[in-house]
Amino acid sequence: MRWPRGVRARLAGALVLLVAVTAVVLGVGASVFVDARLHQQALQDAAAQARFDLTVTVPGRQLPDEPTIDDVVRSGLTDTFLRRNVDTVIDLGAGESVKSNDALDDLLERLPPDVPARVGRGELAFAWLPVDQRPSLVVGGLAPGGDLAVYFVRDVSDIDTAVGQLRAALLIGTIVLVIAALVAARRLARGILSPIEEAGRTAERIERGDLLARVPVTSRDEFGVWADRFNRMTDTLAESIRRLEAAQHQNRRFVADVSHELRTPVTALVAEASIVREHVAELPPESRRAAELLVDDVGRLRDLVEELMELSRFDADAEEVSLERVDLARLIENVRAARSPKARFLTPDKKVVIDVDPRRLERILANFLDNAREHAADADVQIELDGKRDDEVVIAVSDRGPGVPEDRLEMIFDRFTKVDPSRSGGSSGLGLAIAAEHAALMGGYLQAMNREGGGLRLELILPKDVARSLPAGHVAAT
Amino acid sequence: MDARILLVEDDPSIREVTAIGLRNAGFTVETAHDGRAGLDAFEAADPAVDLVLLDVMLPRMDGLEVAREIRRASTVPIVMLTARADTIDVVVGLEAGADDYVRKPFEVPELVARVRAALRRGAGVGSRRDASGSPDDGPLRLGPLVIDVAGRSVTREGSTEEIALTRTEFDLLVDLARHPGQVLGRDTLLDRIWGYDYLGDSRLVDVAIGRLRAKIEADPSAPELILTVRGAGYKAAR
Repeated sequence: MRWPRGVRARLAGALVLLVAVTAVVLGVGASVFVDARLHQQALQDAAAQARFDLTVTVPGRQLPDEPTIDDVVRSGLTDTFLRRNVDTVIDLGAGESVKSNDALDDLLERLPPDVPARVGRGELAFAWLPVDQRPSLVVGGLAPGGDLAVYFVRDVSDIDTAVGQLRAALLIGTIVLVIAALVAARRLARGILSPIEEAGRTAERIERGDLLARVPVTSRDEFGVWADRFNRMTDTLAESIRRLEAAQHQNRRFVADVSHELRTPVTALVAEASIVREHVAELPPESRRAAELLVDDVGRLRDLVEELMELSRFDADAEEVSLERVDLARLIENVRAARSPKARFLTPDKKVVIDVDPRRLERILANFLDNAREHAADADVQIELDGKRDDEVVIAVSDRGPGVPEDRLEMIFDRFTKVDPSRSGGSSGLGLAIAAEHAALMGGYLQAMNREGGGLRLELILPKDVARSLPAGHVAAT
Repeated sequence: MDARILLVEDDPSIREVTAIGLRNAGFTVETAHDGRAGLDAFEAADPAVDLVLLDVMLPRMDGLEVAREIRRASTVPIVMLTARADTIDVVVGLEAGADDYVRKPFEVPELVARVRAALRRGAGVGSRRDASGSPDDGPLRLGPLVIDVAGRSVTREGSTEEIALTRTEFDLLVDLARHPGQVLGRDTLLDRIWGYDYLGDSRLVDVAIGRLRAKIEADPSAPELILTVRGAGYKAAR
């Protein structure tokens, strides 16, 4: 049995979703936070350095008041800063400036307007913007004296690189986590489901009749408690079934014993009655009728005891099938001639020859005919043989009797079933039950249906390959 | 008909009523109430009995054992009284040497008919309804077998030692040997040899053929004289 994948898939889905959402939220948060922190740190460092340079480094060069470009270039300030990997733009006012790098030509124009304005007021100001296609931090300030505005340009691409690396690491981490979650979900599902699957297999074994099967109790969790309860329920059921089977066995044993004990006196009675019958006419009138009734009743008793014994043998599983190749039409014709000479047999055009147990088939057919004769005139009884189906043969006996109420059709193959319980005499009500047992032994079954226009139709359906449909060990060698 | 019948049956009622029925039919009846007594009565009978009616379930020595003991030295017809027809009892009884069986419970006329049929086999020549071929034709031959129909003896070619066949087996052999190559159905044989008009038990034929083969075939598991025709019956080799 395969289990539906639902629980496993749902568990995996939930776990993966949880891990993925958590990882993404944490990753995005971490990268945003680190990005902000790094930029802030870079700005603080740059501002501190700028303050120091503006108050110490630049005044240290002793530039004259209102210096010219030449003065500034000669002072070597730009080279000093360049050695620290910091580009500079020194604004002399009136559109004149000294740059450490040609790429900085349009920097002052590209700065947001409030930056030069605040620098002009003597404050430090900054801006983040790309320079020479690299992310950069520009910090500007006014040198003491107010003649020079110095803009320090630092390459901050290492921040972006670091943040990028962090993001990549977080992404890989997320993927690893999701895979781990999938594996964990599988393990978890297996841990939860394997006892359930085990319980399912146990239930299957019980269903097939193994009443000793129990669910293993391997843990003290909720499942363990359930398994314990399930096992106790099975114990109770098995005990009930055992008790019922024992009672039924005893019951059947009793019937078998009784009928067996009856056999000897019945044998004597039958022989005695058969002699009485031959001399009934010679008896005085006072006892003649009684003798006739005696003979009939002995016959009924004989039938009943024989049928009970026959059923007991089925119950004891003591029956063997002995197969022979049989021309069905011929067998049916023989039984018809012997049992119901007035019944009609619609012989099929083609011969139907299969392997069956002829004695059992005769018995079934005879019981069918007895049943029909009991409810309808012999002349209305009709026998059909249908061998046209691929793997089955149907033998049907139909009568024009009263039929059977639809709700009782199912029951007519049960033991001691009489359609009209008030009716006395006639058969024991075992004939069709016996026929059903014989049919089952040959791998076939019986069907009953009411005919259109009144009457009952009994069908025996036999597999064409009887030998193959038999359980092993039930076939006697022939 | 004054044939003598030995009836071995342990139940007094059945024994008595059966004896009455048989006597009414004109037979002389001796009875025994257990297997040992039955066998003793059979051996002591003078003149010998013509047929033995044998219950299967008997005290001291069961009917099968009695049949086997009788068969050691005698071809007398044996009819078993069996409790049930569907079981191994029948086959075992036939294999023990019985010629026929009657199911219990039985009606006396039915029993008398079976007894008469069995006696006819022993007394008549050849099979009952087979008019073709007469004892004057000289010995029948089947393979190496020489069958003297009138003298009711079978010998192997070049040997004088008689093969001991029961009367049923002998009739069966004669019927088959008279129709070499022709398939005789079980129903036909049941009718001609056993005298069943309908619904005889085909196991009678099968077991008798088996016993016959065991006596006449070189290798009974690969018969060459009496061949099985599946689904049809048996035939003698040409």
